[in-house]
Amino acid sequence: MTEAPHTVKSYEEELKNLNANIIKMGSACEEALGKAIQAITTRNSDFAEAVINDDEKIDKYEALIEQQVVNLIALRQPMAIDLRETVTALKMSSDLERIGDLSKNISKRTLLLNENLPKNLVDALNRVSASVQKQLKSTLDAYLERSAPMAVNVWEGDEQIDDLTNLCMQEVIKYLKENEKNLDDGTHLLFVTKNVERIGDHTTNVAEQIYYLVKGEYLEGDRPKGTEPIVSGEK
Amino acid sequence: MIKIKAKDVDVFYGKKQALFNISLDIEENQVTALIGPSGCGKSTFLRCLNRMNDVIDICSVKGKILINDFNINDKSCDVVRLREKIGMVFQKPNPFPKTLYENVSYGPTIHGMAQSKQEMDEIVETSLKKAALWKEVKDRLHEPGTGLSGGQQQRLCIARAISVRPEVILMDEPCSALDPIATAQIEELIDELKKEHTIIIVTHSMAQAARVSQHTGFFHLGQLIEHGSTDKIFKNPDNTKTQDYITGRFG
Repeated sequence: MTEAPHTVKSYEEELKNLNANIIKMGSACEEALGKAIQAITTRNSDFAEAVINDDEKIDKYEALIEQQVVNLIALRQPMAIDLRETVTALKMSSDLERIGDLSKNISKRTLLLNENLPKNLVDALNRVSASVQKQLKSTLDAYLERSAPMAVNVWEGDEQIDDLTNLCMQEVIKYLKENEKNLDDGTHLLFVTKNVERIGDHTTNVAEQIYYLVKGEYLEGDRPKGTEPIVSGEK
Repeated sequence: MIKIKAKDVDVFYGKKQALFNISLDIEENQVTALIGPSGCGKSTFLRCLNRMNDVIDICSVKGKILINDFNINDKSCDVVRLREKIGMVFQKPNPFPKTLYENVSYGPTIHGMAQSKQEMDEIVETSLKKAALWKEVKDRLHEPGTGLSGGQQQRLCIARAISVRPEVILMDEPCSALDPIATAQIEELIDELKKEHTIIIVTHSMAQAARVSQHTGFFHLGQLIEHGSTDKIFKNPDNTKTQDYITGRFG
């Protein structure tokens, strides 16, 4: 459905503004995740510190979006597509904020890790991270294009992330078992892997919200899942 | 259960067609809201349901309107009896220039519904109680109805409408002249009344339609563009015109 502009121009502007802030927040999260992964895989402390410092920017977007949503509901009483835009923005901002937090947590752990990590571990982490980054990008594209099929693609792709997470976890556990000295780094890497997987989950949540935004109905059925996780956690 | 079934209804004012091929089922004991821009035909459709359009000389109605499976446009239909079964409340409160008691007892009197003064007293009291007005007026039943506030007058009109125990109540923008508190009282009343009556309400307030109704029909330029559950219409309508109208994107 293509929407004509609102008769009340200020209402139109407020919705456009909300939409723009979601896009900016999404881009900030994409950047944070990208830098966090680059920081850990290339051992770049500057990137890690940048992610930690920039998280405040993402938190501020969430607060701003929440304020805009409350104002829209109180003052405009949005209906139909406008209601879905408004409610979806609130839910998306909450998931995006978590993505920012998890990227920050990865970066904090990066600063504590030993300089030399085994190549097989870095490769396994790179594989799952690349997949999650791709998912996040596709999700934000789906939002920009208001595309339900693109959102469904992301939703279905969560399964692959689960599988890659498990492979990465297996590598970390192997590393932990090799030598007691690996305990600190290995534990951080387990959390990093789990954080990457959680970012994938939040990305899938956002994709579900985009589907609802476009279609006005919820994606039905259970989210596709990969092999049973090695480390149990909230799905 | 379907209480009213409109089938292929056309309405003409002289040569000008006001409604085009309207087919709509109205559920029993539920509230159906009719929405749409001014002049879209929603009030014209409402007036078809108790043949109020008969009083307009140049107005002609085609098609079937079945109430309890009886076509009210049939020549054998007794219009006085029909209007006893299908009550109406208008935009502007219009109490008779008589006492509160007489306002409510007028209908039951002309329809011979009470055999004694006591029976009539009971009808008046029950009607005023159902209209949530009894407590406010029980000590002033013999004062003029026109002396009440706007919201009270509208509830008096509702009491007058329900005094003849109609099966259906038609409401044509019943709150448009009322303040928010009086509006809330009428909306609460509508919720209560639907237990015993089928209600069809024309309203310009999207929020009111969303609050009080279970079904909504959207009219535009004499056509019924979309109808369905209120939930669906206000969250995810199928038709672009419906969406444009309820979100304020029209014209």
